[in-house]
Amino acid sequence: MNYVDKDSFMHRLDPRVKVIVLVFFTVIVFLITRPVLIVIMFLSFLSVWTIVERLPSAGLIKTAKFVAGLMGFIILLQAIFYTGNTYILGPVPKDVWLIGGMGIKWEGIAFGLLLAVRLMALIVLMPMVLMTTPIHLFSLGLIRMGLPYKIAYMTTTSMNLVPTFESELGVIMDAQKMRGMTIFEEKGKRFRKMKAWVVLVVPLVIGAMRRAQMMGMAMDARAFGAFKTRTCIDSIRMRWSDWLTLILCLAYGAALVVLNWILR
Amino acid sequence: MAEITTKEENGENTVVRLEHVSYRYPRTKNYVLHDVCIDIHQGEFIAVMGENGAGKTTFLSCLNSIIPNYYLGHMQGNVKVYGMDTKEHVVSEFSRKVGMVLEDPESQLFTTYVRNEVAFSAENMQVEPDEIRSRIDWALSIVGLTSYKDRETTALSGGQKQRLAIAANLAMKPDMLVLDEPTSQLDPIGTREVFDVIRRLRNEEKMTVVIATHKSEEIAEFADKVLVFSKGHVVAFDEPRKIFQDEELMKLCHIRPPQVSALVNYMNMKNAEIHRLPILLKEAGGEIEEWYSGGRKDG
Repeated sequence: MNYVDKDSFMHRLDPRVKVIVLVFFTVIVFLITRPVLIVIMFLSFLSVWTIVERLPSAGLIKTAKFVAGLMGFIILLQAIFYTGNTYILGPVPKDVWLIGGMGIKWEGIAFGLLLAVRLMALIVLMPMVLMTTPIHLFSLGLIRMGLPYKIAYMTTTSMNLVPTFESELGVIMDAQKMRGMTIFEEKGKRFRKMKAWVVLVVPLVIGAMRRAQMMGMAMDARAFGAFKTRTCIDSIRMRWSDWLTLILCLAYGAALVVLNWILR
Repeated sequence: MAEITTKEENGENTVVRLEHVSYRYPRTKNYVLHDVCIDIHQGEFIAVMGENGAGKTTFLSCLNSIIPNYYLGHMQGNVKVYGMDTKEHVVSEFSRKVGMVLEDPESQLFTTYVRNEVAFSAENMQVEPDEIRSRIDWALSIVGLTSYKDRETTALSGGQKQRLAIAANLAMKPDMLVLDEPTSQLDPIGTREVFDVIRRLRNEEKMTVVIATHKSEEIAEFADKVLVFSKGHVVAFDEPRKIFQDEELMKLCHIRPPQVSALVNYMNMKNAEIHRLPILLKEAGGEIEEWYSGGRKDG
């Protein structure tokens, strides 16, 4: 999910507003317990993505697919271990060893589904901020909010590395394919595929460590950390539209919390 | 090996002084630098040559205190750069004097836009934004990337990335630039671009340049002196012509001489008797022509 270079409402927004709203909504998503409100939140984020910002959705779909497996696992776990007594499957008779009393419960599935929607909402929200904020303005926003610049840079530089590692993984994968590795083209064989990841991850991690060291060296060599503060050629300024957006977003979140309390 | 090293005790314009420097990396037994004594003077262009693993990168890392500050390991002797002992100051303090361009273009660029990349070092040094803006224009014009100011760094070619890395170092206004095989990952066009920039730095900005490279043709053209490493020892430190004339040294250190020198050496082997070994193409033209017309007269 790399920065998308264009001009849009969110691109023009002060990075500080985006960071505050992101943190705020992340908390709200987990505060709210009513399913309908969580779904509304998810849909509102999604509509900002597609209708207001018109950001490319290919990355989103790819991420969603990637996360789908994790979500399935979460739902299954909740279905088994969440407290409730509306059994869809089971329960297994009490005297069976280890799995006695277990079963698939509707309450668990519902809870798991909600957790999944919460996750999806965040998966839409976070890249939306990253895709509309150039890294240097993101770190500038963090610095202006009082974060020491070394920490701000550590955060943003690591975000910057994600696409680099993606392309590096592609290179390693191609190299393995050229040496006759076909496992990723074959259907099924999930376990063998998981094992095959080892040969991709090991060179990736070693490469990442080497790169991180080189990068640290290059940054030091360019006077990073020489002084307690640093100047900046870019400037950010809160305009009235930034304030308005911030207030509206906070109001929206507050309204959701109030509704959640009314509907309890 | 010790008598080969140069020791001019003038001290006046000596910017780098290595005194009996030996170094080994952490968790290793063998020293990668052995008793290196070198002086580098203001405005000199030094090319560092030697086969892979000869100690070139380790030597360069000593020049802005990456060794011993970044890599631990064991260092003997003293390195003084612009009067500062590398054991007593951290890397970022040296960055005001010494710029460093690494081999891999990717791992030394960390911002989204070209202008921010150039500004990064000056921002770290608390330069005023207006001054930084003029430095950006100046640095980008030297490396020929003025029209790329607002581009994303990821959209640049390898040669352009290395030129940007040079510009990013120039924004600190260093007195010396250290380049570690900056063209080894580039195609011939990218290599040419980078060396054109280095030539401008040398001729117009009078900058002290220390560069590790295998490109003999370019060294023959630019370098004041060539520093040859073999297995961590300094085996020669002299003018390029003298270095490239020494066939035994070339063979010993696995250095490829410029192609014109190799050609004339081959002709001499076949009894051509060309006495002045050319290292540049333009010289070779004259030498061979002279030999050819002389040869015709004899015949």
